[in-house]
Amino acid sequence: MRLLVVEDELEIQGFLRESLIEAGYAVDVASDGGAAETLARKTAYDALIVDLGLPDQDGIDLILRLRGLGIIAPVVILSARRSVDDRVRGLEQGGDDYLTKPFALAELLARLRNLLKRNVPATAELTRLTVLDLELDLLKRRATRSGEVLHLSPQEFVLLEYLVRNAGRVVTRAMILDQVWGMRIHPDTNVVDVHIYRLRGKVDTEGREPLIKTLRGVGYVLKGH
Amino acid sequence: MSSRVTSFSTRSAAWRISLWATLAFAAGALLVFASLHQFVANDIQRRSDAWLSGEVGTLSDVAGRTPKDRLHNRVVREIAELASKEVPNRQRNDVPENDAVFFLQVSDQGTPLLWVGAGDVKPVLDAIQAGKPITDSAADVRVVGYKFPFRVISSTVNDGSRIYLGLSERDQHHVLQNLRWRFTFWWLAIVLFAALIVFLTTRNMLGHVRDITQAASTIGDSDLRQRVPTTDHQDEIGDLARTLNRMLDRIETSMHQLHTITDSLAHDMRSPLTAIRGRLEMSLSNGLPIEQADPIVAAIEELDRLCDFLNSSLDVAEAKADALRLSRTHLDLDELLHTMVDLYEPSMTEKDIHVRLKSSGQIFIFADAGLLHRTISNLLDNELKHLPASSAIQITLQQQQRNVLLRIEDDGPGFSEGIRHHLFDPGIKGATSTGRGLGLAFVHAVVHAHGGSIAATNLPRGGACISILLPLPVATSVDEPGVVLTSSTS
Repeated sequence: MRLLVVEDELEIQGFLRESLIEAGYAVDVASDGGAAETLARKTAYDALIVDLGLPDQDGIDLILRLRGLGIIAPVVILSARRSVDDRVRGLEQGGDDYLTKPFALAELLARLRNLLKRNVPATAELTRLTVLDLELDLLKRRATRSGEVLHLSPQEFVLLEYLVRNAGRVVTRAMILDQVWGMRIHPDTNVVDVHIYRLRGKVDTEGREPLIKTLRGVGYVLKGH
Repeated sequence: MSSRVTSFSTRSAAWRISLWATLAFAAGALLVFASLHQFVANDIQRRSDAWLSGEVGTLSDVAGRTPKDRLHNRVVREIAELASKEVPNRQRNDVPENDAVFFLQVSDQGTPLLWVGAGDVKPVLDAIQAGKPITDSAADVRVVGYKFPFRVISSTVNDGSRIYLGLSERDQHHVLQNLRWRFTFWWLAIVLFAALIVFLTTRNMLGHVRDITQAASTIGDSDLRQRVPTTDHQDEIGDLARTLNRMLDRIETSMHQLHTITDSLAHDMRSPLTAIRGRLEMSLSNGLPIEQADPIVAAIEELDRLCDFLNSSLDVAEAKADALRLSRTHLDLDELLHTMVDLYEPSMTEKDIHVRLKSSGQIFIFADAGLLHRTISNLLDNELKHLPASSAIQITLQQQQRNVLLRIEDDGPGFSEGIRHHLFDPGIKGATSTGRGLGLAFVHAVVHAHGGSIAATNLPRGGACISILLPLPVATSVDEPGVVLTSSTS
């Protein structure tokens, strides 16, 4: 997978490049819109990460022009702006994603994965999710572990489903709030932690292998296959 | 649309202006007519009187000089008849019988000697003798059997007899009546026409004012780029619109400057923060031992708080300048509160705080979802942080006329006296608070930016209460079905 990072702040460009390479992507970088366009014309990228505040032009104009050139790779928009531009909303509705600076790397990687997954032809919608001995029946809204039914509230089921769908990958608190509760908020209390704690109490009972792991300072991860 | 026009028409000043203008015009026209009428009536009478005194002179001359033979009566009669044909203001010459004029000669004993006129002499003689003695200046005499009075003049003949010449006021009356009828018709027509003209003109003019008002009232709520409609006329209304637009230009410019400052401040702070956070996070993922990871985790968390603080303080600053940018959508407050309570409930239960939500069902408001989420999460964070264990929170959501009322009550210690009156100022926080005291200032800013109000009180039975009143969208207001404001938010 080859990505293009368009970011003028060298510090940010640097750590984005390093962490994306570490995550297994091939990465090209550009510091302005002109360079980005030249690169995008030459190489077919799988996804783009574009900062809105470029020195030579607005990031959105760049995206729209690339779209005009027939480049349809999905874009993660990075914005240091306070208000979300209507055009960004438009792109978001069109399948792209945006992140407000500063963002968690885990979140960037998760959104990137989601966008790249969308490019793969969709397989038949799953009705059953399985991680090790944990099984989720999405139709009956029922979770079992080693065949034993876990008594979850509907909300807990949704939370577990989100973790299972991202099994093996880090999810941040902000991602959980966004995806499970549909809110982009940053409570300065431990509301998400308590939900996870409760869920863990039901899923990772005594004598079983713990599945939900806390990554301090980053978020949570449900053990992968 | 039609109901909006009606409601405008009945409330409009155009009705009042045209009513008063029409009344003044009608009264003025009536006054002018009254004086004209008086003048015409006087003139007709003056001419009648002049004719009467001329004729009576001639007739008494003839009656005196003519010898008293049989011819006498004939001569007098002829002259009298001739005279009767010269009656002024005669209009109906085709009437065969002359009932407009009479001639009467009475002896000094009071017996009638000669009578020329339609009908019987008796009632005329009675009427003349009953009234004041008539001299050579004309006077009104009412005769039984005649609808209109006579103008009568008299003269003495040499032989001691008196002659009376009478002229009916009927024709004069007809002329004046005709005048009055014509006037009434034209007066009504002109007054109605004037009323219509005045009404249409003022309504048209006030329509411009209304357009300006309507446009001005939506500006600021939604979008400062809009302008009030202008006309090409160089009149007061055109000036008003142009002045308003110039004012809006200036406001927009300063607003734009404020946004530029806050945006570049946010941008300049966020870029280095992003780099720092990224580096910290990368160093964490390299499998550090816990004792080395701990300070890094603490730094990341502090950095996130700093960032939130930056966002909120810029929002508060913008809201204080009425410049907070809202991207509004229709959202169900009831659903939002249920989700929020659902999110906070486990943390509350863990602290043995009981939360109850009482809501009367779906209530849609037109608001910025992101800001509202943060507002309610701020309020619940506050409760969670400051309430002692085993407290209870009661959240009530209900519709109040055109507003929605959200109350959050608890049975905790309430707001302390020292900060109670400055709760919504930035930097005010409780003695035990570890935050930066921006939470309630932010809530206040958001509520005001949405045109609502907020109050914080201590309940009589103890505990704190925060009430938020937010306006409902106009279109769903139940009091005015059919009145739909066409908002033109771009």
